[in-house]
Amino acid sequence: MLGKRARNLFKQTSLNIFFIVCCVLALIPILYTLSVSMNAEGSLLSSDFSFLPKHLTLKNYKSVFAEEPVMLWLGNTMLLAVSTVVLSLAVAIPASYVFSRWSFAGRKTVLKLLLLLYSFPSILSMFAVYKLMSALGLLNTHIGLIIIYAGTMSVFAVWNMKGYFDTIPVDIEEAAKIDGATDTQIVFMIVMPLARPSIIVTATMVLNFVWNEYIFSINFLTGSENMTLASGLYGLQATELSGSWPVFAAGSIIVSVPVLIIFFLSQKYMTSGLTSGGVKG
Amino acid sequence: MMKKNNMRAYLVSAPAMIFIGLIVIFPIIYTFFISFTNMNTYHWFNYDFVGLKNYQNALLVFDSGFLNAILYTVLWTAVNMIMQLIIAFVIASFLNIEGLKLRRLYKTLLMFPWAMPGYISILIWKTGMFNSSFGLLNQWLGTSIRWLSSDLGATICCTVVNLWLALPFMIMIMDGGLKSIDKSLYESATIDGAGCIRKAVSITIPCLKPIIGPAVVITVFTTFKTFDVIYLLTQQVGSQTGARIHTIITYTYENAFITNNYGYSSAISIIIFILLILFYEMTNRRSKLC
Repeated sequence: MLGKRARNLFKQTSLNIFFIVCCVLALIPILYTLSVSMNAEGSLLSSDFSFLPKHLTLKNYKSVFAEEPVMLWLGNTMLLAVSTVVLSLAVAIPASYVFSRWSFAGRKTVLKLLLLLYSFPSILSMFAVYKLMSALGLLNTHIGLIIIYAGTMSVFAVWNMKGYFDTIPVDIEEAAKIDGATDTQIVFMIVMPLARPSIIVTATMVLNFVWNEYIFSINFLTGSENMTLASGLYGLQATELSGSWPVFAAGSIIVSVPVLIIFFLSQKYMTSGLTSGGVKG
Repeated sequence: MMKKNNMRAYLVSAPAMIFIGLIVIFPIIYTFFISFTNMNTYHWFNYDFVGLKNYQNALLVFDSGFLNAILYTVLWTAVNMIMQLIIAFVIASFLNIEGLKLRRLYKTLLMFPWAMPGYISILIWKTGMFNSSFGLLNQWLGTSIRWLSSDLGATICCTVVNLWLALPFMIMIMDGGLKSIDKSLYESATIDGAGCIRKAVSITIPCLKPIIGPAVVITVFTTFKTFDVIYLLTQQVGSQTGARIHTIITYTYENAFITNNYGYSSAISIIIFILLILFYEMTNRRSKLC
């Protein structure tokens, strides 16, 4: 009996050690960035460098706000993100409901096409989008980017929410129908509340996409006053020779915190909201 | 209650379809058109049609770099997927061992790399971990190695970063799958005297396959489309590290926006699109995504 308990203890201990190592590996780049951003000494290059800073400072955070128009970038990003979420959900919720519930000519074909389009990397047609936007006079405008983001993310949103609508039993809707509810009432009063996990996750993914998107915004927007957080931070990064790594580290933390908060708030919906659609953002 | 009402269905889905048509489908068709021209910075408006020349350059000129990029992308996808599946399976299985008290804490901490904005993580890895003068790796080793300057070194670094980014999602999917497996299967297997590995091979893996199938297929696509990791680590404008590794997507981007060879890069885009369709048909027939 003692042997079994000892073996169990050994098993649990090694398991915990294994997970501690895994967590350290997962967190080290983030913790190091945090440590560098708050390190008061300029000891990055010296030999007495320590992972845990001896003196803490917020100097680097101050200089991000003082030297760069971060609040302007934040405003731009919020504008783009909120508009894109609203626009893409406004067009995608009705469409995904229709694709899930109604049968009509061409439904299967369009669904297949959407999945194929989802697998097509938007970078490949970026130049064509560039020419299109330049023809429409929307280059270097936020409206242009909102349209691009919303169009790109609609493909994902339709597929993801359609998958979730499929899992909601139709009986409830039929019962409501018998009670005399109209289609609009059914969608707003019954389906939308039931599909909340999927809608929240889809919105989070779209928000994340816009928040993190840099390749379109560095190519389509010029001028510091139009920049987003992502493209601004992209310009801040330190290279082998120039730039300030502590300031960039502080900027990275500032930009990441909101995303981390949203992610962990929506995490309880994550598994059900994503896997049933079978599509990841 | 599948309704049959074509007109209404089209009307309700029209806004989404128009959006997708304008931003996703039209550019693909336009890319197809550009791929037959010699459009570049000097021929922005007055381009000429050159027929299949761009396609010939991509596929038949051996040192064009495109064939190498395809080969690299296939290898990259295979290596990354195999490592991802194995590591995620081990971690998820360990997470589900009974009696692990801090399971929730570990799971939350392991999700951090997924929660962080991807491009920031990559830039942090580039500067914080791999930088030759103040990167953590060199700090600890007391060296000043330029990890990203050789092809092999850069490939290893990119794979590490990609695994770091992609594992949390895979662990979460596998963890969900493992939870849904009927516990009584294991109990009867124990009675029959099956060991851990036997249980994994005969119960866990077969039960897991259909559940994680779609997520795995999607991750294959995502890995195939890798751009951020390789572009941000090795070939940003002005801070190329010297490694010459290209996936097909970074290769296309370089030709479109760095060397401004629009006709050629469009031809490559179309070739990749055709490859994706073939790939998609293959996986779709097997796993029935639709």
